[in-house]
Amino acid sequence: MRQKAGTAKLILCIILLGLLWSCTSKPKFKGKIGMTCMDLTNPFFKLIANLMEEEAAKYGYEIVALSGDQDPAKQNNQLSDFVAQSYDAIFLNPVDSKSAGEGVKKAYAAGIPVFTFDVQVTDEEANKLIISHIGSDNYQGGRLAGKSMMKATGDKGKIAIVSLPEVTSCILRVDGFKDYLKEHNSSLQIVTELSGKGNRNDAYAVTTDILQAHPTIVGIFAINDPSALGAYAAVKKANKLDQITLVGFDASPAGKQAVFEKKLYDSPQQFPRKMAKGTVEAFIKYLEGEDLPKNNFIRCAHYYYDDSVSDPSRVKEQW
Amino acid sequence: MRNLIRNYGMVFVLIGLCLLFSVLTLKEQAPESSRAIGQLVEQISKAHRKSDLILTVGAFNKESASFARQLREELEKEGFGNTRVVVGIPRDLRLALDEIRASGSRPAVIATSGDVIKWRVLERLGEKYPEFSGCEVLIPESYLWPDFLKRSNLLAIVDRIVVIAVIAIGMTMVIITGGIDLSVGSLIAVSAVIGTVVMKKLGGLAAADWVVLVGFIAGILSCGVIGGLGGLLVARFKVPPFITTLGIMLMGRGLAFMITGGFSIYQVPKALPWLGQGTSMGIPNTVIMLFFLYIIAHIFMSHTRLGRHIYAVGGNQEAARLSGVSVRHVIVFVYIISSLAAGLGGCIQASQLNTGTPNMGVMYELYVIAAVVVGGSSLSGGTGRILGTLIGVFVISVIQNGMNLLGIESYTQQVVLGLVILGAVLLDKARSSGALHSALFKKSQVRR
Repeated sequence: MRQKAGTAKLILCIILLGLLWSCTSKPKFKGKIGMTCMDLTNPFFKLIANLMEEEAAKYGYEIVALSGDQDPAKQNNQLSDFVAQSYDAIFLNPVDSKSAGEGVKKAYAAGIPVFTFDVQVTDEEANKLIISHIGSDNYQGGRLAGKSMMKATGDKGKIAIVSLPEVTSCILRVDGFKDYLKEHNSSLQIVTELSGKGNRNDAYAVTTDILQAHPTIVGIFAINDPSALGAYAAVKKANKLDQITLVGFDASPAGKQAVFEKKLYDSPQQFPRKMAKGTVEAFIKYLEGEDLPKNNFIRCAHYYYDDSVSDPSRVKEQW
Repeated sequence: MRNLIRNYGMVFVLIGLCLLFSVLTLKEQAPESSRAIGQLVEQISKAHRKSDLILTVGAFNKESASFARQLREELEKEGFGNTRVVVGIPRDLRLALDEIRASGSRPAVIATSGDVIKWRVLERLGEKYPEFSGCEVLIPESYLWPDFLKRSNLLAIVDRIVVIAVIAIGMTMVIITGGIDLSVGSLIAVSAVIGTVVMKKLGGLAAADWVVLVGFIAGILSCGVIGGLGGLLVARFKVPPFITTLGIMLMGRGLAFMITGGFSIYQVPKALPWLGQGTSMGIPNTVIMLFFLYIIAHIFMSHTRLGRHIYAVGGNQEAARLSGVSVRHVIVFVYIISSLAAGLGGCIQASQLNTGTPNMGVMYELYVIAAVVVGGSSLSGGTGRILGTLIGVFVISVIQNGMNLLGIESYTQQVVLGLVILGAVLLDKARSSGALHSALFKKSQVRR
């Protein structure tokens, strides 16, 4: 009996604490911004979410960051929830560039401004409703990777690409890479292009298979650092480190370290800080009533060994 | 009363959740009613001359837009001749203010409502337009109302449950027979992809409305065929349902990616969104459909012979066989129904998103199974109720929606959802073993 009363008290305490918490978390703030991205388990997006929170807080806005978990329907539901509560804005990083359009239209119909980052919405009708987009110039970054690959391999031999064709930004990287080779009459021959699913394990497996089928390749371009590091592990296992040059993408903390350890030759750098800050800034400018560019592309930059040596962010394991 | 609690105890959990989220999402709401307009008109009439420049401002597509327009009309009726309405984004207001400044005049009042007061162009009016000093910004008094109970939010909840609710009908039947169907998530994608590919082939964007129906039927039927084959494996060859449907789940997902080459199919007819996004007589079509599907399913399960047979098979297969139930047919039947339901779910999903995407429905099998179990069906078969399942679906989606409203992080959401599912099963076990019953009723008798 006494025990029961104890539990009841405990429950009451929890409820009271909950109410207290919900009251204290409400101090003078302007409003909420809904943010949904492809996948919050990816450190790239986690960092962007954190930076957005920091930046928006300066203006009295709270970011509600949700993960679309690579599921377009889930993301669509999240957009519906943002709309239902009439948040002040939506920051969208679409899981699927096409189907995210429905959510964008819904938000527009409810008078909520939508800003996209990193990946664009390609549904034509919906794209017109987007206030502003900010993202890396993935195509240009892909060209940088192409340039590095030509330089590192002496522009001779067979190469492979570890891709991620489900994601537009990664398709653009591969397009930029190929176009650069073509425009410069490269004699590099792309023998295969397979999906490493953007992660280490799958990239390891797929690279192992590539090395079985094409043992003489001299280079691998992987569309992000996790893929590149997976590929590195496979190349190392096959004892072909001297023969094969690896080029990654992102210059993530792990990628920077890998460049420093000369595991990767180059990892064209993305700037998530600029992206996060830029998105919040675009929203503030929107509120100020300023003119906004429809697209704001951030150029990527090479990240070679020389860049990594004296890079403090590499030591601190930051982007 | 006891029976009600025993059968539909989850109703009270649902009501409790709704109350909890209503309290937690209580927020000041800006009024846009005619009373609020009257209040502002009165305020302005008292303090200003009829010739003063009065700006009414509203945000595009929001209630404040019609508020601004109506307020202006009312002001004009009162005799204010120099009014101007601005409806749009902050930039439109800035342009209007620039124009007013250029023309050398000065607004006496800017009247607005809702989010417009947060526009920085208005907040920093004194800073940016020092010429406009003395200009008053007027808003009506706000009132308290939970975000959770807003009409738009309730509609959003219904929006999200439809697919899971439809599939849960089939899953309930499968689970009552003591089986399980892990393939439904993948079949959503299969149906959506096949449906939209058929629509694309039959004319795409310019296709007539009937093409949508053909696409839907193609998608649903192909799922039915797959489900029938799975049912045969389970019934005829005694392959465990878990393994059978696990295989179909993998194949279905792969198939969906193969058909589309990994891309989304968006070349679809204009009529596609009707089912998932349209309304009839002000009620969303999905709600109407759900209503009828659940009525039919409930009657089927509780009042038809086949429905009774499903319970019999789940209760004791051998006993059912001996008493003349064709166990094999019943099992094949429930897997077909489950797959057809998943196919229909895929069509609704495609309609809601206006696309067919191969990565639709990932993890849905788990949500559906969770909803069915929370709704009171036992995974060991024999017991379960269709309407209980509907409540289970609501519980799960209300929790998801509520957590989104409260801005709880995605990671935490998964933990909470997992806990709720475990709690529901625990409750179920306690209930069936009588522990809960005695805790609830015996004790009160002792007290008396």
